Amino acid sequence: MTHKGSSLYRGYALFLLPGVLAFLVLILFPFLANIGLSFTKWSGVGKPVWIGLANYERAISDSSFWASFKNNLLLIVAMTIIPTIVGLFLAAFLFDYIADKFGQGVASIFRAGFYLPQIIPLVVAGIVWRWIYQPQWGALNGLLRFLGLDSLARPWLGDHSTAMYAVMGMMVWFQIGYPLVIFMAALQRIDPELYEAAALDGASWLQKFFRITIHLIRPEIAVVVLTTAIHALKIFAPIYSMTRGGPGKATIVASYFSYQNFFERSNVGYGATIATILTLIIVLLTIGFILAQTRREE
Amino acid sequence: MSSVYKTSRRHFLKLCVGTTGVLALAACAPITPPTAPTAAPAPLPAEKRVFKVWHYEVGYAMGDSWADAMEDFKAMHPDVELVFEEKTFEQIMETARMILSSQEVPDVMEINKGNATAGLYSKEGLLTDLTEVAKERGWDKILSPSVQTTCRYDENGIMGSGKLYGVTTYGEFVMVYYNKDMFKQHGVEVPTSLEEFEAIADKFLAEGITPLTLGAADLWPQTHNWQELLLYKADRELINNFQFLKGEVDFHGPAFSFAAEKFAEHIRKGYYGPNANAVSYVDANSVFFQGKAPMNLTGTWAFGEFMKQIKDFDWGMFLMPGKKLNTGSGGNLWIVPAHAKNKDLAYDFIDLTLAKKAQTVLANAGGIALNADLSQVTDPKVRELNALFATIIENDGLAFYPDWPVPGYLDILGGCLQDLIAGIKSPAEFNDCIAGPYNEYKASL
Amino acid sequence: MVSKSLIADGVSKSLSLVILIVLLLAVLSPFAIITFNTFKTEAELYTRGPLSLPKSLDLTTLRETWARVDYTTKLMNSLVISTAVAFLAVGLSLLNAYALGIGQIRGRAFLLVLFILAITLPEEVLAYPLYYFFKSVGLYNTRLAVILVLTVLHASYGTYLLTSVFSVFSRELIDAAMIDGCNKLQLLFKIIVPLSKPSLSVLFVFFFIWTWNAFFLPLIFLVSNTKQTVPLAAAVFQTQHETLLTPQSASAFLGVLPCLIFFVLFQRTLTKGITVGALK
Repeated sequence: MTHKGSSLYRGYALFLLPGVLAFLVLILFPFLANIGLSFTKWSGVGKPVWIGLANYERAISDSSFWASFKNNLLLIVAMTIIPTIVGLFLAAFLFDYIADKFGQGVASIFRAGFYLPQIIPLVVAGIVWRWIYQPQWGALNGLLRFLGLDSLARPWLGDHSTAMYAVMGMMVWFQIGYPLVIFMAALQRIDPELYEAAALDGASWLQKFFRITIHLIRPEIAVVVLTTAIHALKIFAPIYSMTRGGPGKATIVASYFSYQNFFERSNVGYGATIATILTLIIVLLTIGFILAQTRREE
Repeated sequence: MSSVYKTSRRHFLKLCVGTTGVLALAACAPITPPTAPTAAPAPLPAEKRVFKVWHYEVGYAMGDSWADAMEDFKAMHPDVELVFEEKTFEQIMETARMILSSQEVPDVMEINKGNATAGLYSKEGLLTDLTEVAKERGWDKILSPSVQTTCRYDENGIMGSGKLYGVTTYGEFVMVYYNKDMFKQHGVEVPTSLEEFEAIADKFLAEGITPLTLGAADLWPQTHNWQELLLYKADRELINNFQFLKGEVDFHGPAFSFAAEKFAEHIRKGYYGPNANAVSYVDANSVFFQGKAPMNLTGTWAFGEFMKQIKDFDWGMFLMPGKKLNTGSGGNLWIVPAHAKNKDLAYDFIDLTLAKKAQTVLANAGGIALNADLSQVTDPKVRELNALFATIIENDGLAFYPDWPVPGYLDILGGCLQDLIAGIKSPAEFNDCIAGPYNEYKASL
Repeated sequence: MVSKSLIADGVSKSLSLVILIVLLLAVLSPFAIITFNTFKTEAELYTRGPLSLPKSLDLTTLRETWARVDYTTKLMNSLVISTAVAFLAVGLSLLNAYALGIGQIRGRAFLLVLFILAITLPEEVLAYPLYYFFKSVGLYNTRLAVILVLTVLHASYGTYLLTSVFSVFSRELIDAAMIDGCNKLQLLFKIIVPLSKPSLSVLFVFFFIWTWNAFFLPLIFLVSNTKQTVPLAAAVFQTQHETLLTPQSASAFLGVLPCLIFFVLFQRTLTKGITVGALK
């Protein structure tokens, strides 16, 4: 029995072979090669020239670089902070008020409707919203004029002062359904007796919401915050199809900025540098998050 | 066997039946894993040669002319399958280098002219040298020297001299399209100087009409408006220095200062309306088509489109008056990739696009032909257009396009102009904004 | 007193429902707007504005746009690529997770961390090196290139998820199977796979939709029009010199339509899947 038992767990490494091999060739090596490129000056053809940390120094003094990360932070507001907060309230509301008064089916319909934007390609979502923001024939200005608010109609994507907010508005629309679905599922875990006990103590709906709901679904909140923040740092497609980073640098983001250097300006080395810095930020964020989680569990 | 195993085994059997309905243990048979569909394209029959053409001029006069040439090509090579792919300007701008460096190239493709594109690819050995072919087939006779400027690149990829790497089949320049009916209605004449031009614009403004339309959301249109102002103070030497990365280019000198300040002044006065940054090129043109704007400064490439779209009013054109140089050049280039598989066919095709027949189609569609039979061109507007181009060529007045000198200069210049339009940058800051990347690239050569 | 609170209750009940319905309509309105304007003529858009309902179901714009972007080809490409990735990535995730979750092999924590980091990677870091790699093996500008990269990227997520599912499987059950003479392959396909069907189908749907929506890598690696995918076609169409607004609306509509169909088909699995993914 014992000799047999010990052999049971041998030989599994073989199953890892295809996965690990593919991972090395298609992810790890390219990733390391890209880090190597970030220390070079290269147009994409011919031989890269080693220039050490010059690209990194350049990034630090490059206003476009800082503008792009500032916009990524704004995207975190639009994709993480706002959807998480709104999602929490909406989930609680749908779960214990709407489902209670109108039935589970109605709550599910709302949930599905809010989630719908999540499944379309972001690049197409960008096209849709560009169409909505169109100054002359766009639906948004059309609506404002219809309501007699002509003075509010403006070229949303073409004005430095509103372009980034217009992009953020679209991202909120896109992202709202994701936390909602997760939080609604999380709420089902909570023991209803807790609420009943709190109600007996005379707690209001808001008190219950903050003391019980938020407290108990903390793990899901943490996951939503991490995944959406990573997503916000990686955003590329909607910028590509809506604004191309313009007007000026008003909506440039890190991912698109590296794309510009890679493919429009033939600064492959510099593009690699921006992509590497972005990766570093995301990896640090993820590791920090995992450490914080494990510490909390302990 | 311990009792633990017994119970777990019974439990397990139940699971097996419950989940799959299969008694797995009794019949541990060999298994074939599911196979995924592969995405291999069907092989083509070997005997038929496939000839690939890519361009991004569908809907323009060039597109019509080249479609005609493709029909001629099919008649000439019935045994060859011609495959045409419509591309976009942006696609080619962003991916041309990757494509040209690979084996996945068409046999002939259109690329943008200038140091930043054609020059860079020629320097990297990605293009076929067409110097000899051009002599053999007489292309060098059809292309006048100033048109050839954008076809030739030296070993550093700087245009104007060296080998012939590209062939253009048309010319282009920037001018003002104007609404004749509106001009009559408001009692204004075609201007003969910049002052008169401004006076006209001011008059329209005073009467509550935005005088010009501009689609600055697309980055490149405003570079033309700006360079036209630059050419009031820039001479041939400064333009050549700027374009060929030679000599001194003072971005805070009189010419660049004048251009930035003038452009900012026009914006401030409201020549382009309040929202130029939000308007796409296409939208800006449609404002003119709808008769809502008296003037539209843009290129001759859109001439055919104007002919098609405008039905309700009479329109004409004039060059920005009172200067010698004019934004314009030979058109975009046919190039034959170094890795192309059917170069002989590519030469035949280019030949057909330069032949009288396709060139006359080009002229009739509103393009500026280099080799048309003008007796076959009846439209007075098209004749006028071709005459304007001939004048510019005679004066050696082609001043090229301002985004050419440096790779990626288009989005730098266009973006800095968007900032100038928005009033975020002062004229001096704008000149810094475009000087930095330019000088950096020049220093790296 | 009672009636008052009942009335108040009724009012707040209907009020909350009205507010929610308004919110929901706001979220759904972009879909409605592009749908309306796809079935309008250009002239109708200019005269009646973007918010009006179409006067008739005018299919010309849709038909022309369909032909112009060669939509049939793009749909086929998207289907082939998405299906292939979904199958391959589920298979690869399964093999990886089998070794890490069931086999508990040495160094598994380190490997898992690697896979997790791969999930977070921005795709730009892979672009140039992978371009060179694919060029050298003759895969640049092939659908297979996109299939391979996306398979490995998605399988990273799948590995992480399935490993955590497998690590809570009953050890005794596995031991029992081994003692009964199942070899490792049989254990995997006869026992583990049937038991984890729900998780596998969730992954399949996820991978399919993620691949369908992928944009950056197809943009870099697919050059020929005949190989491009639906989202790519929509983005390209938009930058073509189009003077007309309704075709732009139609291209967005065509970009969204397949996803709506998937949503209806997969809704249940999706909702379940999101929550499974989040809890791990």
